[in-house]
Amino acid sequence: MTDTTIDTEVAHDDQADHGDHPTEKQYWVIFAVLAVLTAVEVAWSYLGLSGPALVLPLIAMMVVKFILVAGIFMHLKFDLSIRNGGVFSYVFAFGLVLAILVYAVLLVTVVWPIG
Amino acid sequence: MTDLATPVDGGSAADDHNQHQDSHDDHAPTSLGLSNSKLAMWLFLGSECLLFGALISTYLLSKARFIAELTAGNPNVIEGLMPAEEVEALGDGVRGSFETLPEIFNEMAMEGSVEPIFDIPFTSFSSFVLLMSSLCMVLAHKATEERDYKNQRVWLATTALLGSVFIGGQIYEFTAFYREGLTFGGSLFGSAFFTLTGFHGVHVTGGILMLVSLLVLSFRGKLKSDRSETVELVGLYWHFVDIIWVLIFTIVYLIP
Amino acid sequence: MAIIENEPLALPSGDVPGVENPLGVFKRPREYSGLKNWLTTVDHKKIGIMYGAAAMFFLLIGGAAALLIRIQLATPNSSFLSADAYNQIFTMHGTVMVFLVVMPIGAAFANYLLPLQVGARDVAFPRINAFSFWVFLFGGLLLNTSWFLGGGANGGWFNYAPNNGVVFSPSTGIDFWNVGLLIAGMGSLAGSVNLITTVLNLRAPGMTLMRMPIFVWMTLVTQFLLLFAVPVLTVAQILLIMDRNFGASFFAVDLGADPLLWQHLFWIFGHPEVYLMILPAFGIVSEVIPTFSRKPIFGYPFMVFSGIAIGFMGWGVWAHHMFVSGLGPLSVAAFSFATMFIAVPTGVKVLNWLATMWGAKITLNTAMLFAIGLVTQFTVGGLSGVSHAIAPWDTQQTDTYYIVAHFHYVLFGGALFGFMSGMYFWWPKAFGYKLDEGHGKFNFWAMVIGFNLTFGPQHILGLQGMPRRMHTYDDAMGFNLWNLVSTFGAFILAVGTLWVLVNALISYKGWSKAGRPDVGPDPWDARTIEWSIQSPAPEHNFDYTPTITSLDDFWHRKYAEVEDGKLRRVATGEEIAQPGNGEGVHLPAPSYWPLVLSLAMPVLGYAIIFTLWLAIPGMLLLFAGLYGWALEPADDLDIDDHHGPSHDELAGANA
Repeated sequence: MTDTTIDTEVAHDDQADHGDHPTEKQYWVIFAVLAVLTAVEVAWSYLGLSGPALVLPLIAMMVVKFILVAGIFMHLKFDLSIRNGGVFSYVFAFGLVLAILVYAVLLVTVVWPIG
Repeated sequence: MTDLATPVDGGSAADDHNQHQDSHDDHAPTSLGLSNSKLAMWLFLGSECLLFGALISTYLLSKARFIAELTAGNPNVIEGLMPAEEVEALGDGVRGSFETLPEIFNEMAMEGSVEPIFDIPFTSFSSFVLLMSSLCMVLAHKATEERDYKNQRVWLATTALLGSVFIGGQIYEFTAFYREGLTFGGSLFGSAFFTLTGFHGVHVTGGILMLVSLLVLSFRGKLKSDRSETVELVGLYWHFVDIIWVLIFTIVYLIP
Repeated sequence: MAIIENEPLALPSGDVPGVENPLGVFKRPREYSGLKNWLTTVDHKKIGIMYGAAAMFFLLIGGAAALLIRIQLATPNSSFLSADAYNQIFTMHGTVMVFLVVMPIGAAFANYLLPLQVGARDVAFPRINAFSFWVFLFGGLLLNTSWFLGGGANGGWFNYAPNNGVVFSPSTGIDFWNVGLLIAGMGSLAGSVNLITTVLNLRAPGMTLMRMPIFVWMTLVTQFLLLFAVPVLTVAQILLIMDRNFGASFFAVDLGADPLLWQHLFWIFGHPEVYLMILPAFGIVSEVIPTFSRKPIFGYPFMVFSGIAIGFMGWGVWAHHMFVSGLGPLSVAAFSFATMFIAVPTGVKVLNWLATMWGAKITLNTAMLFAIGLVTQFTVGGLSGVSHAIAPWDTQQTDTYYIVAHFHYVLFGGALFGFMSGMYFWWPKAFGYKLDEGHGKFNFWAMVIGFNLTFGPQHILGLQGMPRRMHTYDDAMGFNLWNLVSTFGAFILAVGTLWVLVNALISYKGWSKAGRPDVGPDPWDARTIEWSIQSPAPEHNFDYTPTITSLDDFWHRKYAEVEDGKLRRVATGEEIAQPGNGEGVHLPAPSYWPLVLSLAMPVLGYAIIFTLWLAIPGMLLLFAGLYGWALEPADDLDIDDHHGPSHDELAGANA
């Protein structure tokens, strides 16, 4: 509602954190980026590509969206810089990374019964 | 502190109780200087990663197995996809074949992927709706902190509304798939798809209930800025559910 | 813009509210005695005691099942139990022991001790703590109603697919397994969030992470393991419920399902599960041994980091339970390799315990005996475990009694002996009197002899090829002698294990007759701060939050180091202990909503198993519980007293 600062940067807010709260405008900007990314993802899937050329950029875009929501909307980015900070990020990242590793190993083990 | 309604007797003892009350909330000092409730929510969200990871992995495995068996023409799989009456009507010794299948499964078999059943533009719209709801959630929190209670209610209501639109879209999509022949129990793919997206939908619904509850509290004047952390906590949950959808949308719908 | 003040809501009691409750609708209960006190309590100590009592109850059930198994197996071709009855009994024995005995005893100690050992008034979320207990109890009870409602679960505690589906297991036993454990699992998950938050956020000033007792560290790792492992089991069970009760096809092999999916999901949970069963016992023993050696734990940082290492590595070894399931040599080799490594941090712990005792003036009381029992017997179990890690050897050992011997040595000889040690050690703190030492020694020796007679021979039986999970064996196999010995040992073990309850009764009577003398705050001359308050522990824990200046802070206030490095007593425990004056201390108020909410769970559980109509009252209870809980005042505002520890007291702590 009331902007404390007007931030003219469009996509990135590394400079933008004055203290610990993004302005309303910055939230809208992040949303716009997320919407655009989604549109690009969908368009990419229609290009008729297959294999890594299709999958890797999709995953990359997915990860960027993930980071934007977790970092900005869920405030983790600002959590890292406060005293005794980073705890929320570490705790969540621990679960996330553990899940990724464990399930990656699971999928590999199931999909490649070599021998 | 000043947002608590003036007590009936106006005495200072009552104020002490109020401060007392507050200091048992998230304003009490803690070893790490962090809020207990927020820490708890993040721990919970960390554990949810394991939950959805298992569901997503199960989905990927089930889908792969399904496609492999379907394209190989496994008669059990084919008969699983046919309506029960048609399987009975086949008669003794006759197995189902691609001709007896709903068209959509023939397309899947030919493409070697489940893509044909998805309506990507529709689901993209749903994704967009959910992303927008996250924005509204964040704005609701911001409004709470800035004591702008009118907008708090507007944004909370909008978030809940958009969430409901998303759920409505999911229900529409599920019924459409059912009409095309994809049932819950008829195939590994059906079971896995509906369980994964259904679980996500249940989480969204829970979030909507929490949002509506917050809205009611707000209308009763009980969601002032001193309780902004409550709004934030619901927000964390809501954004997490949105993140899971970001993952599901890409992994389930876009990647064949 | 105008903000309209709302009228405060009238309380049902009709009182005019002195203040506006930010949220409150219902008053908090104020029952301070009798059954209602226990039903509405949010006090971590009472909850810990309830966990312990419930676990003892389930131990009787699991133990009875064990004796039935041993009777059946005492002789070849026995018809004491039918094959189906045997399946139910060994399944329920395992399930009850793992989920309803070992895990809750760990929870009992964690609940009772954690706030005391970090200097807190209670856990971070007292009502959630109560909820965790009740929901565990109801889940466990629901599981055991299966005995009367169609038969117990009969697929093994690990419940493999596709055997666990309706085709091969049409009775409702497995549904009870699913639903009962799902419900109990909620308690574990909620409890883990609670305890982690407590340890991270509610430590006394000066208690940095590296000044916490080892027991707190081990419990912290355990809670993280629970936090991340329970959801995996939850998913596996949900998939199975979908298959069995809602017509899904996750495990339908004829449709192409991978039969190993269940095994993978179960063991991704299952392996961290076994570490979370042993780590609390490791923590207990790491408190008992230093106390009765009058030396600090050897290598504190190594103890901490090895515990953390076990927590991490436990995630990477799950498929060692699946070596013969057709994974393929590459996967098998990888998991075999990883499993061999996990012995290392545990070995570090064993060495540290031994080094602590080396050259020390040891008091061989019951608690210490049980602790030493853990160290020796767990080592035996660990050695057989290392042999399982070698995949070619496991190919012969798996599904034989060699494995049964292994896990009983680590879980019973390890975890349960550790818990016994903890009971003897902390009993005076919880109840105000010591358990009798004479009976304690009998307790210990009967258990040691009984235990080793029961499970020692099973190594031999396993290597001779006796398969597990089979209701009988043939006369000509050569298994007769050791099975008989094992059964004989089992009865000795049963007497020995029950003796702790006998001891509790005898000791209580003796104490009562002697006029209930005060055992004092510090009967063992111990090291950690829970011994700096009166016994039994006052409801408010500490009169004032202590300030911690070092590891084993309490010990260092009693003993100072003199010039030649020796220790000299400068104060007794009684002198330093807090007097137990709780005036002016504000405690979290009791609540009945955790109980109400927990009651919704078994109703919903029976809905899934029998008829979905039950879901209606179940959901009503669920929402009543949730909203009642959310809308009650965060505290009891009508008690007129002052705040507990001041801001300054807590604010000085660093991570």
